[in-house]
Amino acid sequence: MNLTQFLISDWVWSPLAVFCAVAGLITYFRYFGWNERAGWIVASATVFLLTLMSPLAALAEGYLFCAHTAQHILLVLVVPAFALLALPDSVRMPARIARLLHPAVCWACGVGAMWLWHAPLLCNAAAESRSVSAVQTISLLIMGGAFWWQLLAPSESQRMGPLHAMAYLFAACVACTVLGIILTFSPVTICKAYLHPVDRLGIEGMIQGNLGMTGMRDQQIGGLIMWVPMCLVYLGSIFGQLARWYAAPAETTLSVS
Amino acid sequence: MNEAEAVLETVVLSPDQRAHYQLAWLSTVDHKRLGILYMLTGLVFFIIGGSEALLMRLQLAVPNNHLIPPDTFNMLFTMHGTTMIFLVVMPLMFGLGNYFIPLQIGARDMAFPRLNAFSFWLVPLGGILLHFSILIGDASTVGWFAYAPLSETPYASRLGVDYWAISLLVLGIGSVGTAINFITTVFCLRAPGMTLRRVPLFTWMSFINSMLVLAAMPVLNGALVMLLIDRRLNTHFFLPAEGGSPILWQHIFWAFGHPEVYILAIPGFGIISEVVPVFSRKPIFGYEFVAGSTIAIALLSLGVWAHHMFTVGLGRPMDTFFAASSMLIAIPTGVKVLNWSATLYRGRIRLRTPMLYCIAFLVQFLCGGITGISHAIVPLDWQTKNSYYLVAHFHYVAVGGVFFSILAGFHYWFPKISGRMLSEKLGRLSFWLMVIGFNGTFLPQHILGLAGMGRRIFTYPDLPWWGVLNMISTVCAFFMAAGAIVVLTNVVNALIRGQPAGDNPWEAWTLEWATTSPPPEENFDALPPIHSRRPLWDTANPDRPDPVVGPDNETGERWDKHVTAIVAFALSEAGFFGTLILAFLYYNVQPQPGPSPKELDIVRTAFFSVCLFASSFTIWRSEKCQHRGNTAGMVTWLLGTIALGTVFIAGQGMEYANLLTHGMRIDSNLFTSTFFTLTGFHGIHVIVGLLLMVIMLVLALMGDFRGKSASGLAMVGIYWHFVDAVWVIVLSVVYIIPRFI
Repeated sequence: MNLTQFLISDWVWSPLAVFCAVAGLITYFRYFGWNERAGWIVASATVFLLTLMSPLAALAEGYLFCAHTAQHILLVLVVPAFALLALPDSVRMPARIARLLHPAVCWACGVGAMWLWHAPLLCNAAAESRSVSAVQTISLLIMGGAFWWQLLAPSESQRMGPLHAMAYLFAACVACTVLGIILTFSPVTICKAYLHPVDRLGIEGMIQGNLGMTGMRDQQIGGLIMWVPMCLVYLGSIFGQLARWYAAPAETTLSVS
Repeated sequence: MNEAEAVLETVVLSPDQRAHYQLAWLSTVDHKRLGILYMLTGLVFFIIGGSEALLMRLQLAVPNNHLIPPDTFNMLFTMHGTTMIFLVVMPLMFGLGNYFIPLQIGARDMAFPRLNAFSFWLVPLGGILLHFSILIGDASTVGWFAYAPLSETPYASRLGVDYWAISLLVLGIGSVGTAINFITTVFCLRAPGMTLRRVPLFTWMSFINSMLVLAAMPVLNGALVMLLIDRRLNTHFFLPAEGGSPILWQHIFWAFGHPEVYILAIPGFGIISEVVPVFSRKPIFGYEFVAGSTIAIALLSLGVWAHHMFTVGLGRPMDTFFAASSMLIAIPTGVKVLNWSATLYRGRIRLRTPMLYCIAFLVQFLCGGITGISHAIVPLDWQTKNSYYLVAHFHYVAVGGVFFSILAGFHYWFPKISGRMLSEKLGRLSFWLMVIGFNGTFLPQHILGLAGMGRRIFTYPDLPWWGVLNMISTVCAFFMAAGAIVVLTNVVNALIRGQPAGDNPWEAWTLEWATTSPPPEENFDALPPIHSRRPLWDTANPDRPDPVVGPDNETGERWDKHVTAIVAFALSEAGFFGTLILAFLYYNVQPQPGPSPKELDIVRTAFFSVCLFASSFTIWRSEKCQHRGNTAGMVTWLLGTIALGTVFIAGQGMEYANLLTHGMRIDSNLFTSTFFTLTGFHGIHVIVGLLLMVIMLVLALMGDFRGKSASGLAMVGIYWHFVDAVWVIVLSVVYIIPRFI
């Protein structure tokens, strides 16, 4: 099998994922109807489905650790962020839940999502069992949502100030870089489940031959994905915050001058 | 130089102070005088480092030359690199920052004047330590990067590398002190109305740069500590024969070394962003983009170091990712160059000396940037890394870029520092000597490098054109030296008979020009109102002021200065411990032959750890009591904290004694080396914390706690929580995790 054939044929059918995406979309449109931000929820659902059903998912299911890392990043950083961007300004978190969402808690969620699921025990369990993998997916989405809530909450009053937000993102970037560095340089395999995959799809030859992948290299790429592109997401949102900071109006000054 | 100093002192000092001039300069804590001292120190070392460069060029002037023996040549390039980076460019940038950051934000002085003086005096100390090794005939010959194992005892058995490492440690500590001071000053001491969104770009960039210093310097300190322990205590962190990893040295060194390149450059970008608008008679084009791209450069620079190591053979995945991320840096840097160019566009350009240096900077820095991108392309890098093409590249950045920006800033601000104008005629002469000299020296080196001339080698064979191009390079190096002499002549001349400058000779718009030249000791009699980024423009043109930027009082922008400083200090320490912890992980993920973490007594350590963690609670209680004015309670809780901390350190002592009696010494294997280094440095921090608490206790018992020492306990508290937090990680990494692997 070559790469093109693989990309065309090996899509993973996941009724649960489709159900969740459709349920999410229906709920959204029921409450908010079609509005100018609806594109974000469609994008969120699309990325969600691509993450769990495209050939990336096929690779992540036992073949490649780095594909699993890429999935991880999409589920923590992209899907929840897009979903939050879809919410209209008027949406507010009920006070009881908002109180739980202290910045430290949200930060720990966002960073913990990456660290926790890369503990060798949990990482192997998620790679080997579909139900653990489902729990992992849901927890990643929720933890990612909590992380982004501080920055992308629909109402300005529930967001962090831009300067604090930059520090929040930078700290997250450092924490994920450290994990990325550990994975990249670790001489031992963190997730042994990927070392000897059961070749369900007959693509092992392509992965090891055409792509030249070895266990070590696979983990290195996984670490590097977490180190470089993931940090670029944080960096990108730091610029978002910077733009927000510089764009803040001069309302109080007008009365002074 | 002495003449310059003597003249300078008549200008800057009042008659009173002149009477005891020497003491005044030795004991000064004034940011302006410290700034001048920084610059004079930079100048002295520039003369030394420049002479080293000229000697190297003399040796390379003709093929197969034997003027300088190979070992001396190695010493020259090692000392030249180290001197120029740590003892010339950094002090000059810190000097300008020291002098002008408080002035630009309308402050009276730096946040911590005595820390400022301490940081400064570490520079001459570090410089003397480094150069003392020349006097004993033993200067380091292993390059400013000190690659292991060449820098290890078996290959460099004499004292040069030790002096080099200790000197850099001293300088690194000084730089961290300065960075903490800059950050705290900008965060806490801005004048009313000078919000963070309005600060001048030089201040902004020095501020961001200081954060980069906090992130990068401690990493170098971690590496130096390991190297010194290797050399003095016979461990093998970086010695491959015993399982150590020379590649790890390169990783840690460049994790510092790459940000360091930007630490040198970013304040230079700040200077250019000040000078170009003033001499184009326009506000800077896209302030937000110039300011924001600085953050991008600072952040990206932390994660691209492996591009210094493409020739090591890190494997294709590493090469690919780091090639991509390195190229990304070209974007924010390009944004800056575009913004400066757009500021020039349709400006009423005044081609005075500072502006001439800026324009040369733009062209030369662009060239250096483009050859930089060519080094991000891995296969090209393999071919050119160890050639003069790389030497040409980084001198285009470091001299054509950074050093020219310093010259621009120096010519721009000299009237403010001295109250005298520099001669425009001599300024132009120095400029042309510098431009011709610089390009003549380094342009031919691109060709030589591509033709295969290797760097760091004391001579070369007589191949076609090599001799000619090298001779051009050498001759032009002396043009640069002549340019430097003209700059100095200009300074001395101006100090003796320069035209008085007046407050604002360039009609500039930032606050340093709102006071006299030189500024009085208290900096300002009164500040103009600040509503925009160009307060002096607004004052001069009340009918068409700049647009107001943000509200005059930003909430959440002003922290307590003691808290800011100690948090910044803790962050820098986190970088140091982070380096040691990652080194521990790196060497112990796979068990080393010999002693292993499994032999540690986890139960006893758990007990002592609980004591340490409990002490975080007690010191918090102590602070609470202090807030309520309950001195007795405060003293009691503080005593409890000291007791718990002492129990912990005693426990560590027991553990050490136990390990040593079982024959586990620091040089037994890589586990013991990393273990003793990491826990030892943590222990030192605990002991320092305990000493600080004893000082607090004495102060409290002396009844000195209601007034100025009140924030002391808060600072000690934050430091102590930090030390505890480090122990949480050390405990998990050293004692707990290895049991599960």
